[in-house]
Amino acid sequence: MKRKVALYGLLCLLCVPFVFPTWWMVTSSMKPISEIFSESLLPSEPTFATYSQVFRMQPFGQQYWNSLYIAVVVTLGTMAVAALAGYAFARIRFPGQNVLFVVVLTGLLIPSEVTIVPLFQLFQSLGLTNTHWPLIIVPIFGAPCVLAIFIMRQFFIALPPELEEAARMDGLGRAGIFYRVALPLARPALGAVAIFTFLHSWNLYLEPIVYLSTPDMFTLPQALTQFVDNYGGPMWNVQLAAATMTAVPILVVFVLAQRQFIEGLAHTGVKG
Amino acid sequence: MTFWTYRRRDNLVGYLFVAPALLGSLAFVLVPLGLVGWYSLNEWNVLGGTFEFIGAENYQRLLADEKLRSALVATAWFAAGLVVLNLSLALLLAVLLNQKLRGTTIFRTLFFSPVLVSLVAWTLVWQLMLQPEGSVNGLLGFLGVDGPNWLRGDTTAMISVIVVQVIKNVGLNMVLFLAALQGVPAPLYEAAKIDGAGPWTRFRRITIPLISPTILLTSIITIVGSLQVFAQIAVLTQGGPGTSTTVLIYYLYQQAFQFHHFGYGATISVLLFVIVAALTLMQWRMRRKWVLHET
Amino acid sequence: MTTLSRLTALILAALLALTACSGSATSGSKSLRMTVWTANEAHLKLLNEIAAEYKASHPDITEIKFDSIPADGYTTTLTTQIAGGNAPDLAWILEESAPDFVASGALAPLKGKIEKADELVPSAVRLWEKDGELYAYPFSTSPFGLFVNTSLIKNVPARWTWDQAIAAAASSKGLVLPDFKYQNWAVLSAIWRGWDANAWSDDGRSCGFSSQEMKDAMSFVHKAIFTDKAIPGPGTTVDFFAGNAAMAISQISRAGALKDAEFTWTLMPLPSGPKGDYAVIGQAGVGVLKRSKNAEAAADFLGFFTNEANSAKLAQFFPSVRSSLLNAETLAKSNPLIRPEQLQSVVVDGISKGVVKPSHQGQEELNQTIRAALDPLWKPGANVSAVLDDVCTKIKPLLERK
Repeated sequence: MKRKVALYGLLCLLCVPFVFPTWWMVTSSMKPISEIFSESLLPSEPTFATYSQVFRMQPFGQQYWNSLYIAVVVTLGTMAVAALAGYAFARIRFPGQNVLFVVVLTGLLIPSEVTIVPLFQLFQSLGLTNTHWPLIIVPIFGAPCVLAIFIMRQFFIALPPELEEAARMDGLGRAGIFYRVALPLARPALGAVAIFTFLHSWNLYLEPIVYLSTPDMFTLPQALTQFVDNYGGPMWNVQLAAATMTAVPILVVFVLAQRQFIEGLAHTGVKG
Repeated sequence: MTFWTYRRRDNLVGYLFVAPALLGSLAFVLVPLGLVGWYSLNEWNVLGGTFEFIGAENYQRLLADEKLRSALVATAWFAAGLVVLNLSLALLLAVLLNQKLRGTTIFRTLFFSPVLVSLVAWTLVWQLMLQPEGSVNGLLGFLGVDGPNWLRGDTTAMISVIVVQVIKNVGLNMVLFLAALQGVPAPLYEAAKIDGAGPWTRFRRITIPLISPTILLTSIITIVGSLQVFAQIAVLTQGGPGTSTTVLIYYLYQQAFQFHHFGYGATISVLLFVIVAALTLMQWRMRRKWVLHET
Repeated sequence: MTTLSRLTALILAALLALTACSGSATSGSKSLRMTVWTANEAHLKLLNEIAAEYKASHPDITEIKFDSIPADGYTTTLTTQIAGGNAPDLAWILEESAPDFVASGALAPLKGKIEKADELVPSAVRLWEKDGELYAYPFSTSPFGLFVNTSLIKNVPARWTWDQAIAAAASSKGLVLPDFKYQNWAVLSAIWRGWDANAWSDDGRSCGFSSQEMKDAMSFVHKAIFTDKAIPGPGTTVDFFAGNAAMAISQISRAGALKDAEFTWTLMPLPSGPKGDYAVIGQAGVGVLKRSKNAEAAADFLGFFTNEANSAKLAQFFPSVRSSLLNAETLAKSNPLIRPEQLQSVVVDGISKGVVKPSHQGQEELNQTIRAALDPLWKPGANVSAVLDDVCTKIKPLLERK
């Protein structure tokens, strides 16, 4: 019993730095700017004026939609590319397989800051700057996809070969085996990939800054930086209101679906 | 026999399956990387609009650059602090949550929640909370501690950046550890208990070895990730005070984007790539030594 | 989040430049683009009015567009747009980047285009000249002044000495330097000029931080922050314009922020230092980019933009350097917030006698290096002399670079 109390106490204490920033963000977004640095945990007079200000200063609804649809498209695309490549690297034998895998893995080692300039040049020459294409194509096919491929490969490697043998006996070809047998089994791994990818795209900061230049094309993280007054001074409470609106829906979805969420993540094939 | 044997067809399917990823890697990773290598051999004056081949000159400059040396030291501290704190905290949380307790799901959710808050929002919030009159010192004052000016002291700035980053992301590693812990067969512990092993010995002798593959994976991801932490430093400290938190990637950004020494920036990129690759390779090699089993 | 927005601008800008491709703006129809750092509605309204008037008399100009780039990172965005082949036709230029622009040859000569160029106050034009030619028109010359919250501090003299000012600030709610933030060190020139200290010599070759004048001035600043507690320490945010501080050192263009102030205030010249009275000004020029396809038309528009009538209109926001406009009566018409005698002492005297904030070629690298080297100064008990000597050690190679 004593042990239990101690454990709960420890957990509660450890929780503080994880929960407090979010709490502070939400409550401070309802404070007038003069109260931001006050010690009070709750705003003395909650105001939602900052929230309407967010929409007045930026096309925030449009930006929300941009972030959302880009993240969804990237997630679906990455799932497809990663499942195909992960499956092939894990289950199909073909000449040069290992070399090609290493080639693909290089992407895991490269910070995006390193290659952003050549990539920008590429998209500039294609006339695709200030469109959402670079934010969609590069994550699906480029470096950000590599972790997903790795996760899928690790999952497929652990799949018992007997299942495929049986399917082959039934006359299924490779594509059929992949689509009918392997893919349905890979649901947890795909779930993990989906979560990783969605978060990655949702949080992307450097790339939107680089590629997008008009406010109605912006994504949320980028939009958050735009709430400044005439002299370039930050409008903290408005920024916090916008930040709250970007964070809270995701948190709510997470709390509702957290079991599938975390169990999906736990299946990232790290057992291998 | 037809030309399209099962094996040949299988090869073809294999190539087709990896084609999107492979072409993507070529176009969006390898070719850009090659270009960065080429830039590093040139003096690229962005303002003047000149692009001039200078051979290894940038690399010589790299060797003589004192600021680079201090950036490497800061990077080493940052990476080491981040990895140690992240992994030990993740493991601690996972072990706590793995106890048979009611309500662990709630705690798991809470510990994981910062992962979902967008990085920019998270950093902004911490920037405000870490001011001398911000909430962190407010909370400390509540406990009777007089908090420092976190982002202005050499050591405290580094600690702040590390801690903010760890709290943001430790949830991911925690979940991975939790899954690994749940995969450790209970009979092993029972047997060890019968042999008279205490909790600490059981943890060291059974848990750690059995979850070592997860430790390896998380440590690789965390180390590689630590070398890419940029926006957080840019917002919280701008590399200061002095140059105490100017890590390699921030220095790269300064040289290339702020000072327009783009050729030299590319040279630093190449160095960064080499370091990341070497570290990963080293850890991968080390797995034979301390990772128990491999599939 | 100014840092983030600055980053945004910087990265975007740098990348634009790095593409360095030839695709420049379409030019069949003559449209002009001017980059500005203001996004203020009143400012843009006036700019557009002037542009509309010009277009009415020049049918060949189809459009004059004012592109607002965030003030943070403005220069980097601009310079790299130029290098990237995406140069604007006209651009506002900050005083700190004047040497980079004027020396690089990126700007087109203007002298023939400016109406009554000989009436421009010489001290205000110096920064924008090379070999007797004018490369940008200093459309905004904004002296630093001392704003005092007279609801908090009563009975202020016409001019304080620095010792008196700091004593008054210490006994009230303090003195703030809104733009300093313990990063933008150049703002401190508004103080150290009173000690006759300089960041570097006039030719820009030798470092001034280790001089005795600078050491005295910085010791004074250090004492004011950490001993007298008259200036809020690093990391604390105190907003004068919201009434939370007793005084502020800022440019008079900020007076607009006091329009709805709930306290009374006055504007004074900078306190006099041990070496007597002085003034420091921040400046902005507008220049025509040589690479612009419409450089000729752009220069012509600039001539119109800065003629006497329009300068008078612009002066309500951006103090003019035309001597005909540089008198208290004219200024008072467009600055209802500031009394004529204040305008005389701060603006008129400031512009004619003032020294422009320090600037040098390669300013951004100098800025960052000095910022980092000065950081150890901003804590109690710092060794001022040693820190300043170190600043000189660090920036010497940068100053000596050509």
